[in-house]
Amino acid sequence: MERPRNILLIDDEEEFLAAMSRRLARRDFEVRTATRCAKGMAIVAAGWPQVVVLDVMLPDTDGMACLAGIKQAAPRLPVIMLTGHASMQASLQGLEHGASDYCLKPIALDELVEKIIIAFNETGSAR
Amino acid sequence: MLDFLARLFRTRPRLAPEALQSAFREHYRNFRALITANNNALELMSLAEETLHSGKPFGMAFVRGELTALTVNVYKMVHSLVALSDGRYQALHERFRHITEAIEAILSRQPEVTGGAHCLTMAQIDRRVIDQVGPKMANLGEIGNRLGLTVPDGFAITAAASRYFMESSRVQDEINRRLKTLDVDNLEDLYLVSSAIQELIRSAPLPEDLDGMIRDQYDRLARRLGTQPTVSVRSSALGEDSQHGSFAGQYRTRLNVAAAAIADAYKEIVASKYLSQAIVYRQQRGYRHQDVLMGVGCLAMVEAVCSGVAYSRAPEDEHSPWVVIHAATGLGHHIVDGSAAYDLLHVQVEAPHGVETVHLADPQRPCLTEALARELARQALRIEDHFGTPQDIEWALDPGGRLVILQARPIGAPSKEASPPRLQAARDRLAGETPLLAGGVTASRGVGAGAVFKVTCAVDALNFPQGAVLLVDTPYPEWAVLINKAAAVISESGQSATHLATVAREFGVPALFDLPGAMKQLENGQDVTVDATARRVYAGRVEPLLEAARHRPNLMQGSPIHKLLEEALALITPLRLTDPNSPYFKPAACRTLHDITRFCHEKALTEMFNFGHRYGARDKSAKQLVVVNMPSQWWVINLEDGFRPDADLSTPFVRIEDIVSAPMLAIWKGMTAVPWAGPPPVSMRGLGAIIAQSTMNPQLDPAVRSRMAGRNYFLLSRNYCNLSVRLGYHFALAEASFSDLLTESYVNFQFQGGAADERRRRRRVQLLGELLREIDFRVDIKGDSLTARIEKRPVPYLKERLVVLGHLLIHTRQVDMVMDEEGYIARYLDKLRADIARIRQDLTEENTTVGTPAQHPVD
Repeated sequence: MERPRNILLIDDEEEFLAAMSRRLARRDFEVRTATRCAKGMAIVAAGWPQVVVLDVMLPDTDGMACLAGIKQAAPRLPVIMLTGHASMQASLQGLEHGASDYCLKPIALDELVEKIIIAFNETGSAR
Repeated sequence: MLDFLARLFRTRPRLAPEALQSAFREHYRNFRALITANNNALELMSLAEETLHSGKPFGMAFVRGELTALTVNVYKMVHSLVALSDGRYQALHERFRHITEAIEAILSRQPEVTGGAHCLTMAQIDRRVIDQVGPKMANLGEIGNRLGLTVPDGFAITAAASRYFMESSRVQDEINRRLKTLDVDNLEDLYLVSSAIQELIRSAPLPEDLDGMIRDQYDRLARRLGTQPTVSVRSSALGEDSQHGSFAGQYRTRLNVAAAAIADAYKEIVASKYLSQAIVYRQQRGYRHQDVLMGVGCLAMVEAVCSGVAYSRAPEDEHSPWVVIHAATGLGHHIVDGSAAYDLLHVQVEAPHGVETVHLADPQRPCLTEALARELARQALRIEDHFGTPQDIEWALDPGGRLVILQARPIGAPSKEASPPRLQAARDRLAGETPLLAGGVTASRGVGAGAVFKVTCAVDALNFPQGAVLLVDTPYPEWAVLINKAAAVISESGQSATHLATVAREFGVPALFDLPGAMKQLENGQDVTVDATARRVYAGRVEPLLEAARHRPNLMQGSPIHKLLEEALALITPLRLTDPNSPYFKPAACRTLHDITRFCHEKALTEMFNFGHRYGARDKSAKQLVVVNMPSQWWVINLEDGFRPDADLSTPFVRIEDIVSAPMLAIWKGMTAVPWAGPPPVSMRGLGAIIAQSTMNPQLDPAVRSRMAGRNYFLLSRNYCNLSVRLGYHFALAEASFSDLLTESYVNFQFQGGAADERRRRRRVQLLGELLREIDFRVDIKGDSLTARIEKRPVPYLKERLVVLGHLLIHTRQVDMVMDEEGYIARYLDKLRADIARIRQDLTEENTTVGTPAQHPVD
């Protein structure tokens, strides 16, 4: 399986971002973070990320709208939704908007890493 | 002919090699996504089933998380299949939506509040309004209004009122937010969240109209009594005291409340729904917080010269000949709090109700006369008779010498002990041993062992380790938060009427109370074994005793969350779509998520199988496997990198030497490792049964070959293999994936149908299941079909099991023919086990030579 390198984390919790990017960096990922969708979108527009991990709750816009924006700007870019809110409805809405996966916090690092790799390969942006 | 035309019609125009390659790559990408999602979905479904039947506690967060993850994976399967089949199975989307909406409806169901009244006076209350006022108040009303016994006058503030209060105060969202992230095993967090939530509720204003209504009820009560009484304000939560859960001591009671303070007391009781012990209790017993609605009772205070608890039967013995009475001077909720010295009396259940004084707190001044004790016993028995089950009754004696019933609820079922004879034998063997402590009162039967941990305050409780023996001075209800962690409970004081004892019985945790000096005599960290039944504490772990006494009740069975998951799983796990050749194997027939996954998986395989043919791509078509220059009865389809790069793909054949798929080579190795021993002796009846079955069921005729169904084939890539087999009438499917990622490391196996009658088919899968369990497969057998899984294991581990699986695939087919001969079965099993052991031995020596396939007829 091919491994992506550039991961963009979008989440409103600074603490979570700091901890997660430190841990992902230790697994040889290059990580950038954004606490707002707008900042995340700018990084996407620059074509940098290979996988996006996106929280459902954001201060400037809701996660679904952010997801829709990302998929419009970069349809082949895999986006993994990560949320503390387990809801079948929200998960299906996310998938219909083109999310690769929908996972629940707390998530084990190993599991998230696998999901990132799988999403990367499944979305076909490996090539 | 029709078949030929249909195939011709479906054949696509030939694509240029590059377009073909890219179309195939797209197909394969969708196929892989589908296979991964399928594997995840199967794992989630089996985990959910396991959890449902395990008896271990689980909450809504678990249920929602599991079902959300499952939904995500099944959605991905549908999505991938629709892409893979160029939109052919669109109808699945509708089925999927239909099923998930039904599941969602189950998950979001709210308990109903009946009746709109916010207050009811005592005269209006009996069991018929139990859904409005809660069982505690309903029972009391019943006792007063129907049995004519004396109960305090007062009124009930209904569940509808508390819902109205919570809705108008708008604190529920904030409460839910705080509970969502709460980890109940972290007591520090639990205490903080619990007190914050209670503060939220206590500080919310009571709606004016509700406040007015409560005042009005109080005024009417005062007029009836001709005084301005103080009142007790008590919880009477809906669903409390049900057959399933006692909720003993979970909520607050306020005594001696003056008129002006009733509103605050009311809010405090409503808030006590979120006391830490209540939160833990609900989590352990499978209640959603929203399943519990607070009814509240306001009752005129009884001036009590003495009070206590009466059990219409001794709580640990439903056939007891005694009514058991605990009595203490004054108004004691101390008895149920575990903090009072008390009189203990036994009164005969049978008339003339002889009284036996067991002990007195003050021998000079008994609380009750014999005549009053007898009268109390009679009342207790009437109440038991009326409600039909033994009762736990709180009572008081007023200065006029009148008995007043304050509360009645069913006694929980006595705690159970496993295999009494074995236990007795274990106890007999201990007769010579000197226990560390002996005596006391059995508060909850059973035996438990662990390190002693003394708890005197909330800070101690924070550090209480899982599996320790809880040692306390007084059995306060607050310690109930530790019950689910404790191996046993010892208390210096208290008796079986305390709330803590009730909760211990309910959770099956042994508890021994009334052992003065225990706090001094036992050391923190010291290992002890508590035999609460025999009322002894031994040093160390007495294993034979523990072994004989092992028993824990299934706490979740019948709880709201258990029922909810059970209902949801009824739309998820049953599998009806089992036969791909049936005309009902279609999207419209999918009734469950399992049906959908089965359908998607099967059709994805078919799509990949047919790709080469449909697109006229020879290198993507099925190739016949050549072994030692002989074409075999096996077909192989290369999905990606399953062949050597230099393999010759121009012919319809492929040599085994050209295959580099690791999972396939592992199965193949097992299939060929031990040559077939030739037909075993056949009993005529056995063979006859097989022939008879074959003639009745055309599906079984090996000559009938629908394109794919009739073949034995491998779909493979370097790290993936799917094997579909029809061997000697059995249908089998083995799927394996090897990867550095645990999510993609698994072996799935399905085995089904076949000739022979129902009884033999069942025995065959039982036998196969037994062998697979021995090599760590998780096996599920329903009727004559078997599924077995291993997932998230390292590659060498999976490889070894695949080799064994390959062997079993070839060799179990002979079992049919010897099914009737018990002796043969045993011998045959032994032979299979020996083969398996040898194969595993060989593997550890890393013998990688691929042998010739077993010489056997292929049907």
